[in-house]
Amino acid sequence: MATPVLTASDVSKRFGPVQALRGVDFHVGPGEVHALLGINGAGKSTFIKILSGIIQKDGGTLTVAGREVHFRTPEDAIRAGIATVQQHPELVADMSGLDNIFLGRETAGRGLFARIDRAALEARAEALLARFAVPLDLRQEVGQMSAVEREAVAILQALAVDGIRVLILDEPTSTLTEVEREDLFALMNQLKTRGISIIYITHQLEEVFAIADSFSVFRAGTCVARMSVAEARESRVSLAELMLGEAVGDVFPPKAGAPAGEALLELEGLGRPHEFTDISLQARRGEILGIFGLVGSGCDELSKTIFGALPAARGTIRVHGREVALRSPRAALDAGIFLVPGDRRSEGLALSRPALFNVPLANLRRASGGFWALRRGRLRRDAQELTRQVALHPPSLTTPASGFSGGNQQKIVLAKGLYSEADIYIFVEPTVGVDIGARAKIYAQMRALARTAAVVVISSDCDEVHGVADRTVALHKGRLVAPGARGFSRDDLLMAGIMGEVAA
Amino acid sequence: MSRLNDHFRGAARVLGFVALVLGVGAVFALIEPRFLSHASLSGIARHMAANGLAALGLTFVVIVRKFDLSIAGIAAFAAMSMGALIAAGLPLWAAIMGGLALGAVLGAISGIAISYFELPDIVTTIAVGSICGGLAFLYTGGRSIFQNFFQSGITDLNDARLLGLGVSLWILLAVYAAAWFVMSRTRTGMAFYATGENPVAAHFSGIATRRFVALAYVLCALCTVLAVLLILAESGNAETNKGANLMMPAYAGVFLGAAVMGGTSVVATFGGILLITMLLDGFALMGVPYYYSDGVVSLILLGGVIAFSDSLREWITGLGLLRPRAARKSENRA
Repeated sequence: MATPVLTASDVSKRFGPVQALRGVDFHVGPGEVHALLGINGAGKSTFIKILSGIIQKDGGTLTVAGREVHFRTPEDAIRAGIATVQQHPELVADMSGLDNIFLGRETAGRGLFARIDRAALEARAEALLARFAVPLDLRQEVGQMSAVEREAVAILQALAVDGIRVLILDEPTSTLTEVEREDLFALMNQLKTRGISIIYITHQLEEVFAIADSFSVFRAGTCVARMSVAEARESRVSLAELMLGEAVGDVFPPKAGAPAGEALLELEGLGRPHEFTDISLQARRGEILGIFGLVGSGCDELSKTIFGALPAARGTIRVHGREVALRSPRAALDAGIFLVPGDRRSEGLALSRPALFNVPLANLRRASGGFWALRRGRLRRDAQELTRQVALHPPSLTTPASGFSGGNQQKIVLAKGLYSEADIYIFVEPTVGVDIGARAKIYAQMRALARTAAVVVISSDCDEVHGVADRTVALHKGRLVAPGARGFSRDDLLMAGIMGEVAA
Repeated sequence: MSRLNDHFRGAARVLGFVALVLGVGAVFALIEPRFLSHASLSGIARHMAANGLAALGLTFVVIVRKFDLSIAGIAAFAAMSMGALIAAGLPLWAAIMGGLALGAVLGAISGIAISYFELPDIVTTIAVGSICGGLAFLYTGGRSIFQNFFQSGITDLNDARLLGLGVSLWILLAVYAAAWFVMSRTRTGMAFYATGENPVAAHFSGIATRRFVALAYVLCALCTVLAVLLILAESGNAETNKGANLMMPAYAGVFLGAAVMGGTSVVATFGGILLITMLLDGFALMGVPYYYSDGVVSLILLGGVIAFSDSLREWITGLGLLRPRAARKSENRA
């Protein structure tokens, strides 16, 4: 094997009392696509931040192409040939792709009034596009682009500096649809043939086999395994087991044993112009209903309409058999509907506040007595009980929500839902950015909820919908695609969501 | 365990604040012994009552993450309106009710415009404040109003004492106690905080966020009216410039308190305004001209907010990291 382009040996990092990394050995060869795996808190992010110069290692050595390097700033890392595309790339939405790529590097001249030579910029962009044939109109505003196009702009931005040898991609597929993911993989393969090494972070284990040449697994602050994908295939290693350090059962809990009870939520002919039309569905007590739909299929709008955050233009909603007019989330909560929103950070949580603040928010009436006074002892006991029930880790009621991993933030939202005592729970994209360990726990919680309530899972992850739900439908361009009498197989569901057709 | 830790951290902040207040008091007392005289201390209490009420009103607005720049204008309009009502021979309570009703309407105008019609808060409140500043001249064309003031009994709010403390201080303490209870012990307070932290998440939790934003402006205007009422009581007349010195101390009190206590709250504002009033009166006693007072307050505000900011703390801890090289090495080995 060729000499590695990037090597780390015995790298360590400590934050206060927490040893985030210890003795990490890591290397990546030229033109290698290398996946970096690990549950949240395993040290992946810390390691990536060290590689990209955002934070400094405490000990150990980094070498690039055989020469030892010390990164004090992100610029140092870029000069050494290591570029990073963050998980949510910071692009300027109302500037063109071209302007974004060269933002801050428009000209070699110095000073506030250095002239920008547009022709030269366009020539440089052409050269970039010639090297990496991306089907992309760079004159378009970034705000108008699809998620994968934005990712491509961010990658080109990273590569616009000469001499980049290693590209780090932090969860690039988390916001992409299955089709878009293929486009991104095509781009990655191109980069690879140009000799650029890619370090690639993902929670989607099947992607490792689809795109990576090799992978490293981080666990508890150290790199516990490094092997090629071929080796892993041959020896049938379980990636999930490596990540967790223990054997995992099925991620998905068993399906409902008993037949479903009465319909708690009934939609009839529900519609909103340009978003979705004629949606008729029933969610029953005792079952999990799964709705699979790609980004833009109307899933998000449908969930918000059921939750009263968007008005329905057409159709009726019945809860417990009675027709209801849901004019606000308050009305939906009063009717017993709780939404676990798709974007928990912006829609689900007061991030700078602890669980004790977030858990009771959707049912403040339960938390208070006469004069609206909070019953603080009872509230604390309830919050303690519920956070224990959802297995919040660490089990702290006073740590700000922002201090938890994605999976545990989701558990706080879940505890908030349990506190609201709803009997219809709608989960939108419940496990985006959630590692495999926490994912299994969240699915188990859904199953537990479904014993006494109706649960609806709306997701663009087909395996998730098929794995966790008892009954599935697909949403394609705002129209419901329902299966025949036997229900959807996994492939039929995928087909229905992507093509809008039921397989014969 | 973590609960004890939180209590400890909260107590440490309060103790730090008390130490800061005592320290500032000691410095003034050393430079100017008259600072601790009865006249000076009761002056601080009176000024604190007016400043503190205005700052409390602003606290509600800052908690929902908005700004209110109409305080000075509303204070001036309310001062002249209450003055005109008193001069017209109305009883004091009726004049106060009239002032509060006016404040509620003005606050509601800003609040509804900002929450329901989504107008930008800064522009809206500057506009409302300027309009009020102009309307203050409506009654007398800008001349002072003093008729009936002594007969009305308004000066008792300033002069009368109850259990050895001025009535104005009792009003302040009562209003603060009520505000503290609402904001940190009731579900209404949680709804206010949730609205400020993340309006979308609060809306999705069934909280009527717009209503709470509008309510914050109404409360701010009501507190401003009470503040200017105490100023009228102290001076015995109503003038159009009566509210001019309320706004800067209010902002300084809210943000300095939040910086020291680690978040905006009723208690933090109380501490902040105590500190600001001490500094203002202390400087006045030392002969710093009044026209520098806004400048002095602003300087303290900037200094305080920077001193307690997270980035400065990080910078200082960053310096600390350079220190124990040997210690860190042994930790790494462990």
